[in-house]
Amino acid sequence: MTDSVSAKPDDSALVRVRGLTTVLNGKKVFDALDVAIPRGKITAIMGPSGTGKTTLLKHITGQMRGDAGEVWVDGQNVQTISREKLFELRERIGYLFQNSALLTDFDVFENVAFPLRQHTDLPEVLIRNIVLTKLQAVGLRGAAGLMPSELSGGMARRVALARAIVFDPMLILYDEPFVGLDPIALNQVLKLIRTLNQTLGITSVLVAHELEAIKQVADHIYLIANGKVVAQGDPNTIAGDGSPWTRQFFGGEADGPVPFQYPAGDYAASLGFPRSNP
Amino acid sequence: MSQRPSYAVGTGLFIVLGFAALGYLATQTTSVANTSRGPSYTVEAHFANIGQLKERAPVKVAGVRVGQVRSITLEPGKETADVKLAIDQRYGQIPDDSVATIFTSGLLGDQYVGIQYGSSKKVLADGGTLALTRPAQQLEEMLGKFFGAGGAADNLAGSYRVKARFSNIGALSVGAPVKMAGVAIGSVQTVKADPVKLDAEVTLAIDKKYSQIPDDSAAAVFTSGLIGTQYVAIQPGGSPDMLKDGDELVLTQSAMQIEDLIGKFLVSGSSSSSGDKKDADGGKH
Amino acid sequence: MSVPMSRDNIVLRSLAQIGECGLFLLRMLAAVPRSLRHYRETLRQIWFVGAMSLIIIMVCGLFVGMVLGLQLYDVLSIFGGTSATGTVVAIAIYRELGPVVTALLFAGRAGTSVTAEIGLMRATDQIAAMEMMAVDPVAYVAVPRFIAGVIAMPLLSCVFCALGIFGGHLVGVTWLGIDNGTFWSNMTATVEVVKDVINGVLWKSVVFGTVVSLIAVFQGYTTPPTSEGVAYATTRTVVASSIAILALDFVLTAFLM
Repeated sequence: MTDSVSAKPDDSALVRVRGLTTVLNGKKVFDALDVAIPRGKITAIMGPSGTGKTTLLKHITGQMRGDAGEVWVDGQNVQTISREKLFELRERIGYLFQNSALLTDFDVFENVAFPLRQHTDLPEVLIRNIVLTKLQAVGLRGAAGLMPSELSGGMARRVALARAIVFDPMLILYDEPFVGLDPIALNQVLKLIRTLNQTLGITSVLVAHELEAIKQVADHIYLIANGKVVAQGDPNTIAGDGSPWTRQFFGGEADGPVPFQYPAGDYAASLGFPRSNP
Repeated sequence: MSQRPSYAVGTGLFIVLGFAALGYLATQTTSVANTSRGPSYTVEAHFANIGQLKERAPVKVAGVRVGQVRSITLEPGKETADVKLAIDQRYGQIPDDSVATIFTSGLLGDQYVGIQYGSSKKVLADGGTLALTRPAQQLEEMLGKFFGAGGAADNLAGSYRVKARFSNIGALSVGAPVKMAGVAIGSVQTVKADPVKLDAEVTLAIDKKYSQIPDDSAAAVFTSGLIGTQYVAIQPGGSPDMLKDGDELVLTQSAMQIEDLIGKFLVSGSSSSSGDKKDADGGKH
Repeated sequence: MSVPMSRDNIVLRSLAQIGECGLFLLRMLAAVPRSLRHYRETLRQIWFVGAMSLIIIMVCGLFVGMVLGLQLYDVLSIFGGTSATGTVVAIAIYRELGPVVTALLFAGRAGTSVTAEIGLMRATDQIAAMEMMAVDPVAYVAVPRFIAGVIAMPLLSCVFCALGIFGGHLVGVTWLGIDNGTFWSNMTATVEVVKDVINGVLWKSVVFGTVVSLIAVFQGYTTPPTSEGVAYATTRTVVASSIAILALDFVLTAFLM
């Protein structure tokens, strides 16, 4: 797959974020953020809750635009690209939503067939073959006739994955793919992510908190906090880089650079006590 | 895929049903339902006054709809309205001496053209003209005729005048009918108060046709119905001499005021002067 | 998407809503050519907003016609004019009750479900998923529902009117004994195609359908994607639609008279 991507062959990164700055509701979500996602690899993006990991994915897919900086995906800057070009690009990007986002009006088969029906005029036989192949890949060919409401969380996520890969994308973005899954379903999804990356060479970006799971699949980890990359490296070495961020995050400490207390005024003053003399 | 046919059929049914309803509303419940469907031919009629007649008003024979008014035009320089009637082909046997009249359905209804067949053997051709027409009756004229005001015109043919004196004429006015046996035979010509005798002197113009009225007949001012207009009724007497122009009717009965009538009724019906309804009922028994 | 307005100024907020609604309409109109591809979806939505509302519309039309027949018979018998019952039922239903009541029912039945559906699609990221599958959600979700409403509303109105006439006939002729011929002939003599059916029923209901669908789709599409937001949005759909219907009814009546 990677060889078909030729817009900027010299660039080893499929996605390159340069100096991205975004202000949302007066709060700086990203402050000159730099991220590079290498081709054909699985990259994990981690960080404390509320640091804008999902927001970063939305920037990569052009759902949101930053206030400054560039987001290059396969040689195109999605921050300035036209809507038509963006839609063309998106056809080559799979996106796995946190809550699967299956269309509740359609059954499993139609959900997976949806992108095909919207973008192609393939004959019904061909659509059927493609859809069943993808469903077989995620192990849910037998569930083709079920409605989304009849699926468990893990099954829904696998159907959504089948839908995301129906066009054989160059890039898949996983938004919290492990949330709310039991250990069996979690491992099934984990196995799928790895298989898709290894057999099809699909570049994968993973936003997740599950450290153990990520260690099994990720080639590279970015740790984002306060709108910046605070640490990066491969899963085995990143935890030991010694910075207070990694120590707190990977060690799971309650207090540290990410404070336990939400910023507030003087505690004693807000309780109405007279100000204590310093 | 599996659901597609079911809702497609349902949607189709819904759309068909909706349009069927529209077609039903538009054709069956509106004036479109009245438009003639068969071929028609055109007949012209000239009316001195079309009143409230409108295009597409019905044309009726014996009360049955046979066509409709196609156009109403007034040619410059002419005083009659040119009305074209579209008549259904199957009612094509209209004698050429038929009379076209503008009627009103009911007192307040829409106007229509009624055709009364004549006796001619010749049938009116397409584009022919109905020579005999009667214009729309204006409500005012009709009321006038009904109440006798129009009678004055008839009297021009010949009438004679008779005087009558009443102590009270109520609301009797000039033009009110003079009736004998309920049939109008003339009208009130003048009403004036006599400054000396302190009563009302009424001059009645009676049609010459009715010259055989005994001179001892009585005249009375009556009211038609409870709230109708007043008229003069002649009650013939038994004298061999007949009334002549300028005579005076000696026996008269003045108008009954409705207040008097009610007063009389109450007094005779009930001993108590308060006269409430229960007492009145009780008095009848 | 959020309204940058102080929360306390209801006039400015309403104005902003109306403005956003108008812009949204332009956005939908711009997306109409793209949504022609999704004609199947439009058909499906006609089924949902139109055919599924048929039962309630028919039942209500029947009862409105019946109660009109009953009331008018009662009043007209004072003047000895019961033969005009058919005429007055038809005119009342065609000019006012048909389109207005249908639109109000439509807002309650189809409008709310469209708002809730789109709101929940947002809340469950289905809209975002379409964006990500390079499917324009305005063209795929909003426009088909909008067009379906514009198409379905006049058809529903006609069905309502037909059932209303039937209801009036049922009470007037079958129960109260007005002459069948008189009922129809008086009606057909007075009711006019252009003034009563085209202007009264069709135009009004096309306008009402447009407005109700626009409000319903807009509210669903712009509501905060939370259960609370969806609940408020459905309420606003009914309130805004009802006000818009009755206000527009006056304006249209003044224009079409």
